[in-house]
Amino acid sequence: MDTIINVAHGFGIALLPVNLVYCFIGVFIGTLVGVLPGIGPISAMSLLLPVTLSGTPESGIIMMAGIYYGSMYGGSTTSILVNIPGEAASVVTCIDGHQMAKQGRAGPALGISAFGSFIAGTFALIALMLVAPSLASVAIAFGPADYFSLMALGLVVLTFLTQGSMAKALLMACIGIVLGLIGLDSITAQPRLTFGRIELIDGIGLVPVVMGLFGVAEVLLNTEHIIKRDIINAKITQLFPSKEDWKASTGPVARGTVLGFFLGILPGGGAVISSFASYALEKRLSKTPERFGNGAIEGVAGPEAANNAAAGGAFIPLMTLGIPPNVVMALLLGAFVIHGLQPGPLLITQNPGLFWGIVASMYIGNLMLLVLNLPLIGMWVQLLKLPYNILFPLIILFTIIGVYCSSNNVFDVYVMIAFGVIGYFMRKLGYEPAPLVLAFVLGPMLENNLRKSLILSQGDLMTFVTRPISATCLALAVVLLVGPLLPSLRKKRELVALDEGV
Amino acid sequence: MSNNSNVKFRFNNSELWGGLIGLGLGLFVIRSGLNLKLGTINDPGSGYVLFYTGILMCLFAASIIIASLTEGGPTFGSRWENARWTKPLIVIASLTAFAFSLDTFGFLLSSIPLMVLLLRLIDPVRWSLAIPIAVIAPLGMWWILKRLLLIQLPSGIFEIG
Repeated sequence: MDTIINVAHGFGIALLPVNLVYCFIGVFIGTLVGVLPGIGPISAMSLLLPVTLSGTPESGIIMMAGIYYGSMYGGSTTSILVNIPGEAASVVTCIDGHQMAKQGRAGPALGISAFGSFIAGTFALIALMLVAPSLASVAIAFGPADYFSLMALGLVVLTFLTQGSMAKALLMACIGIVLGLIGLDSITAQPRLTFGRIELIDGIGLVPVVMGLFGVAEVLLNTEHIIKRDIINAKITQLFPSKEDWKASTGPVARGTVLGFFLGILPGGGAVISSFASYALEKRLSKTPERFGNGAIEGVAGPEAANNAAAGGAFIPLMTLGIPPNVVMALLLGAFVIHGLQPGPLLITQNPGLFWGIVASMYIGNLMLLVLNLPLIGMWVQLLKLPYNILFPLIILFTIIGVYCSSNNVFDVYVMIAFGVIGYFMRKLGYEPAPLVLAFVLGPMLENNLRKSLILSQGDLMTFVTRPISATCLALAVVLLVGPLLPSLRKKRELVALDEGV
Repeated sequence: MSNNSNVKFRFNNSELWGGLIGLGLGLFVIRSGLNLKLGTINDPGSGYVLFYTGILMCLFAASIIIASLTEGGPTFGSRWENARWTKPLIVIASLTAFAFSLDTFGFLLSSIPLMVLLLRLIDPVRWSLAIPIAVIAPLGMWWILKRLLLIQLPSGIFEIG
């Protein structure tokens, strides 16, 4: 009964005209960045993070969340019509989605992708409503040692799932922690690694780091090659899938939804891993696996449902524990912090309007996305024809303005440009930026909880293994760290390795 | 001695240099941690986490170096094979010049030339389109920020903008 009252309260907030406008802007921009290859939700969210300052916390976070799940919808359009994933979570959709489009079935592919995404998004929200309050009440009992171990596990999972060498990913995570510790020590107020620069006393901002590593670096990488696009030009018809298509897709959508939701909750997991896992599962369960890769609708329905469910599930650790499970959620945490809010077990009780408003807005956003992605598909196809030689300079201009506006400080523009160049060379040398960004956000919390737990336990390291939650997390982290030494687990890691860690 | 070994040391190995940079950073972090005071395990100081993170960095960097020496790795040249490496270089140079001019010349006088450079040098946009975009985009953003959002962008020594 309480949940129903809270949901009604949430809808009351989400349906306020200003929040509806922010929600629409969020899902619209999300679809836009999903459609445009080369710009992902991370770049868009970091670009718009300063904009959230101008409104209420609800409005800003509603918009940011909209960009994230909106990009999941938009990404499939590019995958199906152009065979280039709009963002990392849509890589799998290219395999069968583009084949369907080549066979003249772009309509059903886009349709099942949108409906599958909607069904999965709805399920994820209902699950979020039911699971989050219960988990939050349990999380109140978490001590600093549990938080420390959970964050350590999140970082290890992300490094495990990051493409390429695990040593490189772990090195990136360590650099992220160090960067996160720049500025005043939260316990002793001693300046650390500030090199006498007054601008560094408050630490390095999340916005310039992320915009540099993901926005500027992405543009630099994309300028290296001429981007060719093989757009399906045939008129798109039959967006509503046939009875046979629904029959074939019901199971994959259901399985993808459940799988995606649970993988989304796990620290370090997310939309990319769940779409790959769903594709592998459907291929394994199929009586005709040879159809996969040749235009099987199940290969579109399952992964698309999975990545949307994961996007919803990823909100659980952030909202209930205050721990972002991936880089996108780390940015969302940044939006909370900008407004002086701390997500965690007390958020639901202290700010019920905020929590339930965001949840309700996500449902409304999903409905908006259905309208944006089906009847307006022609508009997105036109947008795919936008020349990149105009788009890239504009992105650079927007990132410069976005960074400056976030702090009114030219120093942050320098930081962004420096991280853009560093990010470019990192990617060229095979160092992924995702572990660095997540560690940058988690670093100060990780340090704080480690020092608190050592002070509280009077230096007894056993505190990390005597508490069941902490011990479980650390045991899992050790397994993942040692695991890649075993050839069989290393092979599995290479199969599921992520591109961007989101 | 090296003739009997299968290991071939190559200094033009990007993995090796990546690892060495990581090692250098790790050593710097360890030193910074020590300078900040480690404290005790009962009461960790400001440098405690930095020091141990530095040690981890050195360990991971060492494993990258060892792997690069035993297994080899791609050369710097191969990382940029078939890539138009001059394009990112031009963008980096333009952004660096922009960073240096922003404080002195202000947002408008710095960003318009930056846009012209980027529009003409990445994949040349024709002049008749490049110039209007290069002028209208920064000017439009400046107007929105200054007039609508009341955000002052740097105006430089000439106080333009």
